[in-house]
Amino acid sequence: MNNTELLYKAFSSALNIELDQVTPDLTYNTIAEWDSTAHMVLIAEIEGVFDVMLDTDDIIDMSSVAKAQEILTKYDVGF
Amino acid sequence: MLAELNGYGIQLKPVAEPHLAQLRQWRNSPYVREQMVSSDIISVAQQNAWFASIQARTDQQHFVIEYRGECIGAANLKSEGGISIAKAKTLEPGLYIGSERYRSNILAFAPSLLLIDYCFEQLQVARLQAKVKSSNTAALNYNHKLGYREVDKESNYVIIVLEKAQYESSTATLKNLLSRQGK
Repeated sequence: MNNTELLYKAFSSALNIELDQVTPDLTYNTIAEWDSTAHMVLIAEIEGVFDVMLDTDDIIDMSSVAKAQEILTKYDVGF
Repeated sequence: MLAELNGYGIQLKPVAEPHLAQLRQWRNSPYVREQMVSSDIISVAQQNAWFASIQARTDQQHFVIEYRGECIGAANLKSEGGISIAKAKTLEPGLYIGSERYRSNILAFAPSLLLIDYCFEQLQVARLQAKVKSSNTAALNYNHKLGYREVDKESNYVIIVLEKAQYESSTATLKNLLSRQGK
């Protein structure tokens, strides 16, 4: 499984949504499942999957799937 | 003089004259007005009178919210019955995110966390109370995540309260995420 697939799976698992609902445009608070509580679960899931520790600015900026990919590249996760 | 508060990546700064135009623009926007008890448009003269009046008031504190040097919203604290904020046991916080960019963002919790910490830790209040329009489900959900519980209903409003123990247990993870140090 490549890193894009791992990331999408992390979103699907943390937000409890179908994998095909995870697209680059999926954005925080645009679906009921991605609220602040789910965001915290999502951060924990992403940190676990990619073995990284995100800082607060990145947690705040991680407002879409595309943005998550962009941020993770800063932590040497390749896509 | 009212102090600046820092934490969770943001600052709460006492409202000053240079902030007024931005605050009035947000306060008069449909998004903010529809959350307010009074949805009237505020004129420059009315705002100036309000700003002059709050300089001498000890029962209200008004802040702007800054993130990365940018003003993104406003927050305030009020006590009931003219009691000084420093002596009040119950306070009513108010807050809005004016900047559209940060309205639907987990950052919107940061000013509440900072303001509530200030109330419980520095001001030593026993509880916080707020009156939210019952139609404003987003605000009710938001406050629920901070630990507020509903205690009463008044016409079109829901009265919610927050005590320290409930606040701490509800926000531990959120506080951790919003207080990590940058690399």
